[in-house]
Amino acid sequence: MLACEKVSRWFGGVRALSDVSLDIQQGEIFGLVGPNGSGKTTLVNSITGFYPPQQGTIRFEGHTLNRVRPHRIASLGIARTFQNVALFKGMSVLDNILLGRHTFMHPSALASLFYWWWAEREEVAHRDKVEEIIDLLQLESVRDEPVEVIPLGMQKRVELARALAAEPRMLILDEPMAGMNQEEKEYMVRFVLDAKEALDLTVLLIEHHMDVISAICDRAVVLNNGEVIAQGPVLEAVRHPAVIAAYIGE
Amino acid sequence: MFYRLSGVYHTRYSATRQLWPIPADRWQIGAVAVLALAAPLYMSDLYLSSYLLPWLIFSAATLALTLLMGLAGQLHFGFGAVMAIGAYTSIHLARAGVPFELALLAAGLMAALIGCLFGAAALRVKGLYLVMATLAMQFLVDWVIVNVNAISGGAVATLQTPQVSYLFVPVASLTARYYLALLWAAIVTLLVLNIKRTSFGRALVAVRDKDFAAAVIGVNIFKYKLLAFFTSSFLGGVTGSILAFCFYQAVTPSQFNFDVTIQLVAMALVGGLGSVIGGFLGAGFVLLAPIVLLNLIARMTDAGWLNVSTTLMAHIPLMLYGAMIIGFLLFEPLGLAKIYDNARKYFLVWPFRHTQS
Repeated sequence: MLACEKVSRWFGGVRALSDVSLDIQQGEIFGLVGPNGSGKTTLVNSITGFYPPQQGTIRFEGHTLNRVRPHRIASLGIARTFQNVALFKGMSVLDNILLGRHTFMHPSALASLFYWWWAEREEVAHRDKVEEIIDLLQLESVRDEPVEVIPLGMQKRVELARALAAEPRMLILDEPMAGMNQEEKEYMVRFVLDAKEALDLTVLLIEHHMDVISAICDRAVVLNNGEVIAQGPVLEAVRHPAVIAAYIGE
Repeated sequence: MFYRLSGVYHTRYSATRQLWPIPADRWQIGAVAVLALAAPLYMSDLYLSSYLLPWLIFSAATLALTLLMGLAGQLHFGFGAVMAIGAYTSIHLARAGVPFELALLAAGLMAALIGCLFGAAALRVKGLYLVMATLAMQFLVDWVIVNVNAISGGAVATLQTPQVSYLFVPVASLTARYYLALLWAAIVTLLVLNIKRTSFGRALVAVRDKDFAAAVIGVNIFKYKLLAFFTSSFLGGVTGSILAFCFYQAVTPSQFNFDVTIQLVAMALVGGLGSVIGGFLGAGFVLLAPIVLLNLIARMTDAGWLNVSTTLMAHIPLMLYGAMIIGFLLFEPLGLAKIYDNARKYFLVWPFRHTQS
């Protein structure tokens, strides 16, 4: 479904990714792990068009993503969340999730001016879709709250909801459980699995919690200093001697 | 007592998204609308023409600016120039015999096109650099207007507005001019309110808050920055020509110079960026506070409470006015709109003291 072939990206003299190849199959949960600074987020930024790779190709369902701008990639069916929650402050939870529907809507000032005859029907139709997501992720109680007043665990869930509202076929989660306590973590894992089942998703999961990775991922790739040091079925990958060496030394 | 959120249950999504979900708010708006519509009946011509009329027009201008600065987050320090482009376009077209309705439309389009040209700088620069780019627009447009005689008729020339009619009503009597300004202010108000609750407004706010996150959910950042400049400049251009035709009934370059730009920015800031009620409150404050203060000081000196020279008396209101702006920005950076909002929330839960946010 998503294939990276010998993807390289460098910033000045720093080689953030070198010859990274991976192939994610339809319907699997694919883990991406590695120590801090190993290039996980850079890889995701390459896939989503922020840092196009200088070498190699990224293909998603037959499209080459190398030269595609970020907002076009969203409409191809890739959604992602960010390591540091990137919600829109000052907006309510509901409006944040509604923004996830952006690619399906037809915003214009004229449609807004004639709201009652023009934009209202579209707003209500997409509200229906958003309520389905709110239902799935159990966000009913905070629906009308401004996002900055709800706890971090909830904010991460809202960000997941916003990504799901775009009806992606591929979901990229960048450390969705960072900074969470055990209970919130378990909730999040459950929501990711539920969403994957209900919406037929393929998931690329970046995570530092090895228990989560080995529990829910089918396969995994381990990066270190921008290079793939192990890949394969998840338990084999994370127990590879090179991985243990990268994390805790020889 | 009557101002309650509890007990208001909506059963349809369209009802929860209506402009004023609380009945008391709707009553309030209705009362204001009736007062505004009936103003020519109970207000003297002096108050109508020199207070209410400019207040409405400048509120419309502030709303146009706050759409750009508040919602889309693009700083604009050349809005006087945008209004000038609209005013000069419409006056020349009206003089050439083009119907006023079309001249207004053309004024908006012309201002929007030139506004977008300079707004294109926003695709590359942010913050203070954008301020510089739009400031350049102000001075460039000022210079062109003053120095190209075909536009201004000379540096100190005044172009009288020709006799025009709007929807078959001649725009000549004070009442007609007032109602045209009121109509335009109402249209701009509804537009900005509706933009804020639809996908267009959400996309603008997304670009303002976190452009990378906006891109990830499919918002074309460049397109929406330009659309923000286009929409706002269009409204600014039409407002400029309404100001010329309804208020000044003439056009001179000094009506739209840098001072006006600064006043508009002050209106948007003091009122509260991005807020509709703030647009009205800010414009009212900036226009009327100096006058009220001047009258107050004059009364006090007349009564013998204050003994100041006439030159000082002319300056005291300005000093107080400056102090008030600084005070507002210090104590309530979110502007008069936030003060209104606090009061409203207080009454929503009265006699209890806790509000939700």
